[in-house]
Amino acid sequence: MGHGKSPYLRYADPEPFPILNKHSHYDHLFEEMHELEEKGEILVYRITEENKPVEVFTRTGRIKTVPTAKLWHHKSCGQCGNIPGYPASIFWFMNKFGYDYLNEPHQTSCTAWNYHGSGTSNPVALAAVWLRNMHQAWKTGYYPLIHCGTSFGSYKETREQLIFNKELRDAVKPILKKLGRLTEDGRIVIPQEVVHYSEWVHAVRHKIAELYEKEGKAKGIDVSNVRVAIHNACHTWKMMADDYPYDPEVYNGQRPAASTAVVKALGAQVVDYSTWYDCCGFGFRHILTEREFTRSFAIQRKLKVIAEEIKADLIVTHDTGCTTTFEKNQWIGKAHGMYHPVAVMSDVMFAALACGAHPFKVVQLYWNCSNYEPLLEKMGITNWKELRKEWEDTVKHIAELEKEGKYDELMEFFKEYDLYEPYSRTSDGFKRRRSASADMPLFKS
Amino acid sequence: MEGHPYGYNIPISEKTKEVPWEEKVRVYEEVKSDFRFKEFLFGCLNCGVCTASCPSNRFFDYSPREIVQRFLEEDVEVIYDMMHEYIWACSQCFTCWIRCPFVNNPGGLVIIMREVAVRNAFEATKDLLKPYGRVLLKVMTTGNQLSADMLQPDFFPDWGPKMQDNMENIRAKRMAIPFDVGKSVKTAWEVSLETAIEMYTIWRETGIFEMLEKLDPNLYNVIMDIVEENEERWEELMEEEEEE
Repeated sequence: MGHGKSPYLRYADPEPFPILNKHSHYDHLFEEMHELEEKGEILVYRITEENKPVEVFTRTGRIKTVPTAKLWHHKSCGQCGNIPGYPASIFWFMNKFGYDYLNEPHQTSCTAWNYHGSGTSNPVALAAVWLRNMHQAWKTGYYPLIHCGTSFGSYKETREQLIFNKELRDAVKPILKKLGRLTEDGRIVIPQEVVHYSEWVHAVRHKIAELYEKEGKAKGIDVSNVRVAIHNACHTWKMMADDYPYDPEVYNGQRPAASTAVVKALGAQVVDYSTWYDCCGFGFRHILTEREFTRSFAIQRKLKVIAEEIKADLIVTHDTGCTTTFEKNQWIGKAHGMYHPVAVMSDVMFAALACGAHPFKVVQLYWNCSNYEPLLEKMGITNWKELRKEWEDTVKHIAELEKEGKYDELMEFFKEYDLYEPYSRTSDGFKRRRSASADMPLFKS
Repeated sequence: MEGHPYGYNIPISEKTKEVPWEEKVRVYEEVKSDFRFKEFLFGCLNCGVCTASCPSNRFFDYSPREIVQRFLEEDVEVIYDMMHEYIWACSQCFTCWIRCPFVNNPGGLVIIMREVAVRNAFEATKDLLKPYGRVLLKVMTTGNQLSADMLQPDFFPDWGPKMQDNMENIRAKRMAIPFDVGKSVKTAWEVSLETAIEMYTIWRETGIFEMLEKLDPNLYNVIMDIVEENEERWEELMEEEEEE
């Protein structure tokens, strides 16, 4: 059902589940956004048929459009830097589905982790960083998909602030002009929807389940006995809470649907526990400099509860910080007799494993500090030791090529090894690429 | 004032007492003048659901209800005192926000207070953020907040023995990440130089470099050296391209 004149604001009719917050203040931004577009102040980067959109519901009953194809990957620094199998699993699925996408170096972090941790930024800077990244996506014609939960939460908040505050728009516009990041007629580019990768996973969960049936099971993988505890990330569903998927099939629309829905679609067992709503203890600055808080909270409020109440095989997450917090803070529990080992990974990593992705080359479990091995055994990936050896041999091979300065051979090797062909491309090719860190042979050309 | 008749019973620090009243009012007004303030503070029943569900409240002397209450009572002295250490306990999870029946956003108020504390270079803030310098260095110069080279095992002994193993032969392992822009040790992904240059312009235009200079002059100098070096490199590349 349409609402007013705005094409961006539609509600489900009839209501898909009991709704507490009808017509929220947040939803009103989609009307304001349309008005600003009509006045010619902003350009709304629209989701089109080319993006193969799928409709989901938010907790207000709003229909949120999730693009599933032709996406510009707004990567996460925490994921790429610390859990590289996280983005690799997303790319692996996109390749499997034959979806076009763009994974390029012309993107910064949202810088919001820093802001929440240290306060060393401000709304104008955050808005400028966001709008620069969005303009880059728009320029390429690929729709932005936000990998990080904090980027997603921060961008939703920044968009709301921009739409409702002329002073913020007026402050950020001259900066964007200086950067050449306005449209030719001087407008700010704002995306129709801010979309998190977990929403993408949610939107394509039935395709993922089909792939599991077809390819995962053919490899002897079976997730039906896997007991899964779901942890939803605070910055996806508590921050700008009216803009995240809810679904009648997940607790009748009374809890966030993403992650839970894909685990259910795969046929694994979602097991409820009493502290499901609690944060992980990441705390932004705390994970690095107040670690006694982070580990105390993670162990006592989550890991211990999950072990004692439901004996889960796996905690499924959908954000960078939560994954890191849970999997890095288990071993230290031994010091206080509070060791509760459990595998931890994101929804897309678990889904990729279920569908037969290589646990080390694609899902990159090597970087994981928690005990993932019993989970692999239970899933039927019993050859994981061989697969790990295969990956370790690959690492040795790469190291030898680099040591001998055989960069051309390395490049040839990556052409076969990497996930990017033919779908992932950089916008201007290898030769023109220059790096802000320039620490890898790939960028010496 | 020594504490409060209910709830907030932390004595006001001697340092805060010594600060002239006008200065405390100035800082308080700086927080209140932020455009977000009116969107984050509404009525309060004192129900305490925010504090009951606050992760930081379980381990620190910190209560989001007190943040809201002190602002509603315009308690300049306590707000000023909170801005030195108290507010840094907040985990920024926003559980308080989603649970508040009045849609107050204590976590949002805290972020405004933190920003003002950094902008005013409070001593406690400088001390508190000292160990956070590595993140600031990385994000300000590369546009990434985390990279593999920041995760040194000797800095994270509590993450266990697998961490040690993970970091051996790190370059080759990073190259074995199966997508091109991920093959980096110093950044989470390869950020193009032109992108970093644009970001430096954003930091300059929005006063972020100035904030950093007040917060940590040494760190600021290191950052500016890298920024200027990259800017020079960019100019050289542009000149080379023009010649070609």
